[in-house]
Amino acid sequence: MSIAAGINGLWLASLALDGFLLAVLIVKGMWKTFPWFTAYCAWDFLETVVFYFLAGHPGYLSLYPIAESISILLGLAIVYEIFNHLLSMHSALRRLAKMVFRGAVILLLLLAGAVVYIHLPFNFADVRMALMSMEEAARVLEVGLLLFLFIFSSTFGLHWRQHEFGIALGLGILAVAKLTAVTVVQYALSAVGMINLAFLIAIDLSFLLWTSYLLVPERVVSGAVVPDRTQLEQWNEAIMELIHQ
Amino acid sequence: MITMIVIALALGAVVVFYLAARSRSRQSHQPILPVDVQALRTLMDRDDELFLQERLPYSRFRRLKRRRIRVTMSYVGRVASNASLVMRLSASTRLMADPEAAAIAVQVTEMATQIRMQCLVALGKLAVEFAMPSLQLTPAVLAPRYQALREQVLRLGALEMQNIAPAAVSI
Repeated sequence: MSIAAGINGLWLASLALDGFLLAVLIVKGMWKTFPWFTAYCAWDFLETVVFYFLAGHPGYLSLYPIAESISILLGLAIVYEIFNHLLSMHSALRRLAKMVFRGAVILLLLLAGAVVYIHLPFNFADVRMALMSMEEAARVLEVGLLLFLFIFSSTFGLHWRQHEFGIALGLGILAVAKLTAVTVVQYALSAVGMINLAFLIAIDLSFLLWTSYLLVPERVVSGAVVPDRTQLEQWNEAIMELIHQ
Repeated sequence: MITMIVIALALGAVVVFYLAARSRSRQSHQPILPVDVQALRTLMDRDDELFLQERLPYSRFRRLKRRRIRVTMSYVGRVASNASLVMRLSASTRLMADPEAAAIAVQVTEMATQIRMQCLVALGKLAVEFAMPSLQLTPAVLAPRYQALREQVLRLGALEMQNIAPAAVSI
């Protein structure tokens, strides 16, 4: 099977998976809980359909930056949506979290600015390369914010509910794949076919992950796993011994 | 250079996502770890430390203090882990129909969140003290706060037996 056929197959598969995911979001009424995520999936579905038929057409390049800008903005909105869901139960953390979040955004904007700066001056005769540089900067922001979200939640021991975790993880995989693809392709233009293939595999994987996390019911939280009383006593004895040594 | 940073960011993200997925699956089996609040208070007692500092030669005091810090760190780690578990359990209780249980659950979540933050600060300060044993940075408020959290979890356990009760007994 040629790379082009593989790309075509994976592209169609992503369309089918995206359509199924949208159906799950609507049928299960989850679009009310995750409006930005639903908007992202719907936009991605529309974008894939349009670009599938526009492949090779000159209009493709002029539409691409607009479509990708909307996609990136929706991706950032999902990060904020998850962030709010995660903190909805922890008002004590909200102020600190928002402060750290703003700090992370500023740092990442600086890094994104540096990414654009090293590619200056843009050669607009090669629109594709200029677009990739801009996209690389935007993806740095997206990956960085997702990274911040995971590190912050693990530092404060916040519990991820099934759906939020699945959405964040899927978006993370997708954002990393896009960031890697746009960064690597600038240095390996000859391998663009393989990069596209790997990228489409990551997209399909994200859709599968999202669908499975949204379909599988949440595990019931149980506090029933408690230590043995003798273990507790042994621990206390050991500590007391150590203190009085 | 910037390209290297971007690649490192992508690789770091993959590692963090993997660790998060692994820790989430482990979280569901996370047990409540026993903490002796009295022992924690003793460990954080500054008078005791001053007494030792005055009586012992510095090298011996330094060795002893570092050992004490190691034990305190493991206790603080347990408090942090329990606070995280309590945050998770009480978050699910907040949605209950019983308004009294829901109100206590809100308080418990807030207290647990604050304790978790204090644990992070305490661990940072203990790390600095470990490097420089002559310093005294550790706050002494963690033990009484944890005791207060225990009492609230017990109250919540009395109201909502199925979910919180085992944690209330062993925290």
